[in-house]
Amino acid sequence: MLSAPRRIAREEWRFWRRSKLMLAASVVVVFLVITALITTTGRISSEQTQRREMQTIAEDTFKSQPARHPHRMVHYGHYVFRTPTPLAAIDPGVDAYAGTVMFLEGHRQNSAVFSPFYTAAQTPHLAQLTPARAYLLLLPLVLILAGYASVTRERAAHTDRMLLMSDLTPGAIVLGKVLAMLQLTGVLLIPLAGALIVLVVKGACPIASSILFIGFALYLAVWSLLTVAVSRFASNASRAVLVLLSLWVGLGLILPAASARLATTITPTHGKIETDLDVVSALKDKGDGHNANDPAFEKIRTNLLTQYNVETVEELPVNIRGIVAEAAEAEQAVIMSEFAEDHWSEERAQAVTARQLGWLSPALAMRAVSMIMVGTDIDQHHQFQRDAEASRLEFVQALNRLQAEGITYADDISRSNDRAAEKRTRVDASNWQRLRTFELKPPPVFARMGAAAPYFAMLTLWLIAVTVVLMRSARTLGHDHG
Amino acid sequence: MDDLKREAGLAWRDRTVRWSVLGLLVLSLLALGTGWADVAEQRTTLSELKARVDVERAAAIDGQSDAGGAAYYAFHLTYSPPSALAFAAQGVRDVLPYKHRMRMLALEGQIYETDSQNVELSSIGRLDFAFVVAVILPLFLILVLHDLRASEARAGRFTLLCATSPDGAALFWRRAAVRTLFLITVALVPFVVAALVSGAALPGIAVVIGVLIGHALLWLILSNWLASRIQHGATVLTVLLGLWLLSAVAVPAVGKQVVENAVALPNGGELLLLQRETVNAAWDRTKQETMDPFIKAHPQWADYAEVSRPFEWKWYYAFQWLGDDRAAALSTELREGVSQRHRLMGFVAWLSPTLLTERLMARAADTDIPAYQRYENCVRAFHTSLREFHYPMLFGAIEYSEAAMARLPDYAPCDS
Repeated sequence: MLSAPRRIAREEWRFWRRSKLMLAASVVVVFLVITALITTTGRISSEQTQRREMQTIAEDTFKSQPARHPHRMVHYGHYVFRTPTPLAAIDPGVDAYAGTVMFLEGHRQNSAVFSPFYTAAQTPHLAQLTPARAYLLLLPLVLILAGYASVTRERAAHTDRMLLMSDLTPGAIVLGKVLAMLQLTGVLLIPLAGALIVLVVKGACPIASSILFIGFALYLAVWSLLTVAVSRFASNASRAVLVLLSLWVGLGLILPAASARLATTITPTHGKIETDLDVVSALKDKGDGHNANDPAFEKIRTNLLTQYNVETVEELPVNIRGIVAEAAEAEQAVIMSEFAEDHWSEERAQAVTARQLGWLSPALAMRAVSMIMVGTDIDQHHQFQRDAEASRLEFVQALNRLQAEGITYADDISRSNDRAAEKRTRVDASNWQRLRTFELKPPPVFARMGAAAPYFAMLTLWLIAVTVVLMRSARTLGHDHG
Repeated sequence: MDDLKREAGLAWRDRTVRWSVLGLLVLSLLALGTGWADVAEQRTTLSELKARVDVERAAAIDGQSDAGGAAYYAFHLTYSPPSALAFAAQGVRDVLPYKHRMRMLALEGQIYETDSQNVELSSIGRLDFAFVVAVILPLFLILVLHDLRASEARAGRFTLLCATSPDGAALFWRRAAVRTLFLITVALVPFVVAALVSGAALPGIAVVIGVLIGHALLWLILSNWLASRIQHGATVLTVLLGLWLLSAVAVPAVGKQVVENAVALPNGGELLLLQRETVNAAWDRTKQETMDPFIKAHPQWADYAEVSRPFEWKWYYAFQWLGDDRAAALSTELREGVSQRHRLMGFVAWLSPTLLTERLMARAADTDIPAYQRYENCVRAFHTSLREFHYPMLFGAIEYSEAAMARLPDYAPCDS
């Protein structure tokens, strides 16, 4: 003998199986979910391959350069490509909007260019269908269609009283409806679980994947319970579906779109050009690293002369031009990075502001959980730029060091007029081999868990709130026939 | 007329209608208001930037003793100001750049720079009026219209109503039309007021009005037609929602996939690498190898092309040009591909009213892909005019002087 709630749940499934509408809706949505899974996985993996290939080409090109003056290589520069994390196939997040490639060169911090959006066929925003978006928006619709009449149906047919007159308690009836909805949620989560397993086999982090899965399960549970709760309170089925759909539109479409707007209003940021201009003025009196005689480097010169105990720069065992270039680059990098960090923290504050509406909309909370766990949120975009800058500074400074130690000052100053000297300033091509391979890694999973915790809290709170409402309402079931 | 008045009164007494009208009104005002604020902010930012870049440019030129240095250190602001209707449809302006700070170096290395907004916010999507009209308006119509017949049937009044109405079931068309009119009005009136205040041209306003009304009528006809064929209100609702999903999500999503597969595009990274290779290779090659192709394309400088010193500005700008020239084929292919994708999505739009509505509104607001490409062409034209201005001084046909530099081209947005 099954327990009472399980019998109710079984009846609910029987009802769904008989409903053509339910069948049609599920087929359509499952089709969309699977389409999203296939197309996104395909797109992300081809982006991964392409960007990785380009990264290899860029590195090989750099390493195969002929013997040159090191400073020429500073301006020759290097390219780094942002490769999406393995889990990005579930939620590409900012990937479509953020630049994918950055040119690294001396004295400048460039921005990442060529976002996939730049060349994409433009569609309404909703149609940028990804698995995450399908789970965020489409599956709640299935749950609403399945459950909006779950309680109102009994009431309309007056079967609630009959159920209550049998050995069933009101709690058992509502619990049964909830159980059925949760079972349905479980079924709907199967494609996601499958996709995650495939991705884990391909190298995605199992912990991050599990947490992502738990997040979506929590999120869909909120919608399941919410649906039963509304069905419990609504006077009839059409009122219930109206309320639920309004909630879906409000929480799923309008609040997220409004959150972006709200965030830009509350926490404005400075644009790239504005920041560039600020950097230019901050660097104005810092001296030109190409000119070792720039008065800004007077102190370096005196220090060097004292250190090596010589009278003139010509007598130094190192090439002062390289030393000055190195010092200037380091000083510039500090200033540029300060501005960049400021800009990023502004952007971060903006994103966090938008996510706060997750207290009002579980869709926004889940969106944040998903992007953070996958590693496609704004932080990852900043991390790419930070890693790129570290990589830039590393190779530029290595080249400056090479100029200081591998070339004599005498050759360096006469290379424009003296062909033999020019030849001697070309350092061996083997030096270019030292370029480090660039690889963007998602932050450690525990860091991601920490970052996602507040949004998990939002989801949990939603779940608790809906559960409490539902439990309190169950007690009065059958009393409201008037 | 009395009939309509009575229907309007009846409709207003319906709680769902009142809430929907109020909801749509609030959303329209919110979308228009924030769009308005956005555009105002864009204008302020542009004029501030323009002033700052101009000061910076004057200061940079001030210290220069030759044309090469002046061209190297002088940055210019290029931009595309928001149109008078941009507040209604943001289009691609929040992701694709509408302003650049550029100079006379190889353009392909500069034009893809984006001064974009917060990418995490871009990935949420924006609440603009086009979104309200294309995505939200049909949902409100569906909510209000799907149950008109079925609710009367449930109340047992359906047959009676049809029998006592002079034109039978046409009564329900009238009822639906009145409710649609309510919704159209609360979206349209705030828009028209905003558009008139912003000084938009009448044809543009007319397009948006036409699109809004057309889109609403489409859903009115669909809802009422389905309601007349299906008795159960919830079924009507589900089918309508399914159609909405098709239009807003499935058709454009599948269309996008098909179009992107059909039109392959060159990789942007490849273009950048090629451009950099060409520009840098010049340092390792003989001056002749740079100057020959340059002179071939610019025969007027043949007599001035002699490069005798290891570094001369004219040679430097010649290889900047060469970098662009070598990347031109890829760059053109990229732009044509993007434009081709946009054109093909136009066919998909005939199957998706949502997409069609968004496209038409973005076109009216001049915020779509073609508008972006016109801006890009405008930047390219300006870059050419910069080169044409500097070449005579670089090649020594004209002496570099303050007076000559006074005629330095100033960027002006192109007419759309």
